[in-house]
Amino acid sequence: MSIMPNDIETRLLEAAPAGIQFRAATDDKSVATAWCTLASSDNLLSVGLLLKRMGARLSTITVFQPKAAAVPKPKEGEEPLPLPTFLGGTPQDGKTYEIDYHFDIDGDTLTVTAHVAAGGSIDSLTPLYRAADWPERELMELYALVVRDHPNPQRLFIDPSIDNAVFERLIPYSTLVNSAASKSIWEKIMAQTGAPS
Amino acid sequence: MSNFTIPVGPLHVALEEPMYFRIDVHGETVNNVTITAGHVHRGVEYLITKRNVFQNVVLTERICSLCSNSHPQAYSMAIEQIAGIRIPARAEYLRAIADEIKRVASHLFNVGVLAHLVGFESLFMHVMEVRERMQDVKESIFGNRMDIGANTIGGVRYDIDPERIGYLREQLAALVPEVDEIIEIYRTDSSILRRTRGIGVLSYDDAIDCGVVGPVARAAGIEYDVRVKAPYAAYDRLDVPVHVLKDGDVWSRAMIRLMEARTAIDLIHQCLDGLPDGPTVAMDERPAIPPGEAIAKCEAPRGELIYYVRMTDSPKPERVKWRVPSFLNWDALGIMLRQAKVSDIAIIVNSIDPCISCTER
Repeated sequence: MSIMPNDIETRLLEAAPAGIQFRAATDDKSVATAWCTLASSDNLLSVGLLLKRMGARLSTITVFQPKAAAVPKPKEGEEPLPLPTFLGGTPQDGKTYEIDYHFDIDGDTLTVTAHVAAGGSIDSLTPLYRAADWPERELMELYALVVRDHPNPQRLFIDPSIDNAVFERLIPYSTLVNSAASKSIWEKIMAQTGAPS
Repeated sequence: MSNFTIPVGPLHVALEEPMYFRIDVHGETVNNVTITAGHVHRGVEYLITKRNVFQNVVLTERICSLCSNSHPQAYSMAIEQIAGIRIPARAEYLRAIADEIKRVASHLFNVGVLAHLVGFESLFMHVMEVRERMQDVKESIFGNRMDIGANTIGGVRYDIDPERIGYLREQLAALVPEVDEIIEIYRTDSSILRRTRGIGVLSYDDAIDCGVVGPVARAAGIEYDVRVKAPYAAYDRLDVPVHVLKDGDVWSRAMIRLMEARTAIDLIHQCLDGLPDGPTVAMDERPAIPPGEAIAKCEAPRGELIYYVRMTDSPKPERVKWRVPSFLNWDALGIMLRQAKVSDIAIIVNSIDPCISCTER
């Protein structure tokens, strides 16, 4: 049975005065799934606080860069069309980060979505939800997104010697495994044994 | 008494997989633990966006071996939601059967390792021998002992005829007294109790704070089981008892797993009793997956496994994110190990049933 409160949309809007986009659905097993997009990522903390008071548990955080919106080429003499934006005006340029916070409310799932333009930052939810600690540390190493006021912004999985934002860069396998391609291995062998005659 | 630092791992006899613990101790007592992860980080979340929807069923099964059935199941559930596919009733029951068979084997494995860590080697070997029956079941029904390949988008890839149902019931009937006996040993044996009661305690409040899931949460008094709170597959038609204990210690976690292994046997019987006729997949051809996003959850042996999938107009997902139960349970380890004795470290680490390949992906 779904336990998501009926007035959740109203409560979310109160916590996020910049505006929200909300939709919810219940499946044939009565499990509810709701999606709330914030117009401003600055409202994240107050929404997080509201959900904390409702007894929500933070399941996890997803981050990615949605691909750029397709804009038709302008005809000759016409001004290029502006890029479409996400709710709140963040451009759909392929660089903007979408951050999805998946909350569990006794079995139902509410996903709160915030958009942050490239080079931007977002508040840490870790002071409110201890379970945000590891996901936020992980997202900082996978993307160049900065989490403000994270209490322990250490690397989680990726070695500190590797630059961050690994999901934003193509890393050749040979670089990743530190053998820097077979060429350098042969150069090393030849340095030891001498070049073939 | 002096303070010193003990390194445990990344390779250690008590860990099947690599993880590094830096443990600050005062005499024999743990003061602080720092966990350094990442030794088996494989970038699977990146790789999954480079393969198409159907190839990823195979890839997700290889994230982890002990909960290898839960990954493709949750992933398939998310894709089915996006595509609006309703899987046939028989497939729902077969998914639950596969889930519970894996749960019995996974829980017995963890509880067996606990016996090994407390030095009760004959019990360790006995539990592993009992678990072997479930390994044989997996091999006989699915053709494989770990990655059973049961799920596909739109249903399941296996079916059971009356002969196999008879074999499965026979094996379960033999397993019941064996599991009951093991439960009694863990409940009463003094060498188990001495090393596990009151050890590695995680209180209810800390468990809520850390957001732990699965047997770790239920052993600390949190009555949360995805099979009941957010039913999937056939679980809305099954009677699923949720086992909860209050003490939050190593023993409680082991007992929850044992009781759940026992319950899983009953759930398989319930599924076999109610197994409807009909197809095992929703469609004959591979469906087109439209753009969309979905969340899917299931109760893996270690607790809630959640998948988020975003599809665009490409056959490859734009993003797939999953959070395994161990990911949250690791953090709670810092609390469980606080003021623990050095000799209990391995027992406490094992008590969260850690899965490192799962955690790091």
